[in-house]
Amino acid sequence: MNLRYPAVVCLTIGLLLLSILAAAAQGSFSLSWSEVLEGVSVCLWNEQCDVSPIQQQILLDIRLPRILMALLTGAGLAITGAVLQSVTRNPLADPYLFGISSGAALGAVLAMSLMSGAITATGLGVIFNVTTGALAGGALSVFLMLTLAGKSAVQVEKLLLSGVAVSFMLSAFTSLVIYYSTPETASTLLFWLMGSFSGVDWSELLLPFVTVVLGSAIFFVFSRWLLVMQLGEESAATLGVPVHALRLGLLLVSSAITAILVAEVGGIGFVGLMIPHIVRLLVGNQLQRVLLMSLLVGAIFMIWVDVLAHSLLQDQVLPVGIVTSALGSLFFFIILKRRQSR
Amino acid sequence: MMVQPSASPAGVSKPYLSVEQLTLSLGRKPVLKDISFGLSRGRMLGIVGPNGAGKSSLLRAIYCYRYDQKAHLSGQVRIEDVPVYTMSRRDRACKIAVVLQESNLTFEVSVFDVLATGLTPRKSLLSFTSENDRACIRKVAADLDLTAFLERDFSSLSGGEKQRVLIARALVQQPDILLLDEPTNHLDIQHQIEVLGLVRSLGVTVLLTIHDLNMAAAYCDELVVLSQGELIATGTPKEVLTPALIQSVFQVTASVEPASGPGDQIQVVYSMPQHAGTVEEVGAR
Repeated sequence: MNLRYPAVVCLTIGLLLLSILAAAAQGSFSLSWSEVLEGVSVCLWNEQCDVSPIQQQILLDIRLPRILMALLTGAGLAITGAVLQSVTRNPLADPYLFGISSGAALGAVLAMSLMSGAITATGLGVIFNVTTGALAGGALSVFLMLTLAGKSAVQVEKLLLSGVAVSFMLSAFTSLVIYYSTPETASTLLFWLMGSFSGVDWSELLLPFVTVVLGSAIFFVFSRWLLVMQLGEESAATLGVPVHALRLGLLLVSSAITAILVAEVGGIGFVGLMIPHIVRLLVGNQLQRVLLMSLLVGAIFMIWVDVLAHSLLQDQVLPVGIVTSALGSLFFFIILKRRQSR
Repeated sequence: MMVQPSASPAGVSKPYLSVEQLTLSLGRKPVLKDISFGLSRGRMLGIVGPNGAGKSSLLRAIYCYRYDQKAHLSGQVRIEDVPVYTMSRRDRACKIAVVLQESNLTFEVSVFDVLATGLTPRKSLLSFTSENDRACIRKVAADLDLTAFLERDFSSLSGGEKQRVLIARALVQQPDILLLDEPTNHLDIQHQIEVLGLVRSLGVTVLLTIHDLNMAAAYCDELVVLSQGELIATGTPKEVLTPALIQSVFQVTASVEPASGPGDQIQVVYSMPQHAGTVEEVGAR
């Protein structure tokens, strides 16, 4: 059984690489695997290659950025979910539970609806765009949550409750903004809220990449303490763990990851909730294993969700959020059935 | 009524652990009032008293856990003259290990991993669990007869087994002082005897809270009696557990008799009401 975990990790990494290739070959303009392989290797530095410039352009400028964004989103949301489930000792915790996504969505929606109006004309659009709007909104929601919880923020239940309250409040504002938008803006906003990886270019990948990598590194460093905290906060405190500071810090890192991902791709739910549970079925509960595997499985899952979103309907791209929510609810029915039958 | 602390075996030397004028209040509500006592190295001290007397609060005050923002604590605890309250968290965790009443786990954790958390204060965040650490964990597990459980899920164990695992974790911590909060709670009589015997055999300095006066008398070298946050008596069980004290603190009539067996052990015999009768009968009286 000692060899099982490394084997599972290697297999998953292999599966991830295969998924990237397969996803790159998929699409309305289909490419063969060899073309994909050649396109990302030989053709980069060699003029002599069998892939046509147009194929090369589709591969490098459209598909790869999209796939990598899906990968980062899946990995980031899944590991954040795993961490939050441990921090709150609540198996239903999720990056969206604390109102972070509602805040980010509100910021983005405000930015979009204002951009269509006066701000673009004054050139402020460069500073106040969807990304910065979402970041500001995400930060606002964390600030509100901590303020609302006040001194009782040391108790995890109260923190959760105030997160839920903030989430509903900001969602209401988002709905209000959409309600007062012009029909065209409203449909753009709604589509954005449901999440999509389309139209991503390389420059947009930088910030999510840095955040997910740095955030995961922080999670891994503190995983030793996080495990202790799973056994109860008081006993963690007796083992020298600064419980409150640790929880607040991990919460802020989680917020940053979520807000930046929401800013780039919109609202994509259920991933942070579902993937850690699947991972625990695969490799057990050891925290470091759950974290690493959540990164990998989350990435694979999201790449395939994106492929599904592109191929389910002809000539139309389904919003990614719809696919994840549908799969997520199905997943919970299955879990529920299995629990009952035991 | 105040029984003076018994002289430590070493005579004039200072106690190993000394609790000095601990006063704790939650807002305006006093929880502990000016508690002072000492304990020599390797001795086992039981804290007894009715529910709400402040037994667990006293333990928490010793291991410095602030469970409430409104809690205000004054006084000092010293181990070999070193003040505990000014130590860093980690230094404190290297000296004092705490066994709390069993907690429920959300996710499965193996017994080995539970034991490994005992290494936390001595390991930096970036270090890995070394072969040395594993050997230490396996040795403690073997000493406490837990080897067969190492791969099991902690939640699947029985109450007595969980308690043994938590004690083992505290030993992995290699503490100078071991604190236990009601280690016999929810355990049947066989496991109560087993757990207290185990703690007794460890040879470390122990403080524990306990409800059963006979168990306390049988296993503890010294007792501290608390009532409504005040220290009523300290001393050996024989000195402390008198019918008058039991009557005044617990409102129960009891006689104290020498226990069978070696030494000057005692046994508390409660005088139970003959037959309480049904609710109607009691009401009619």
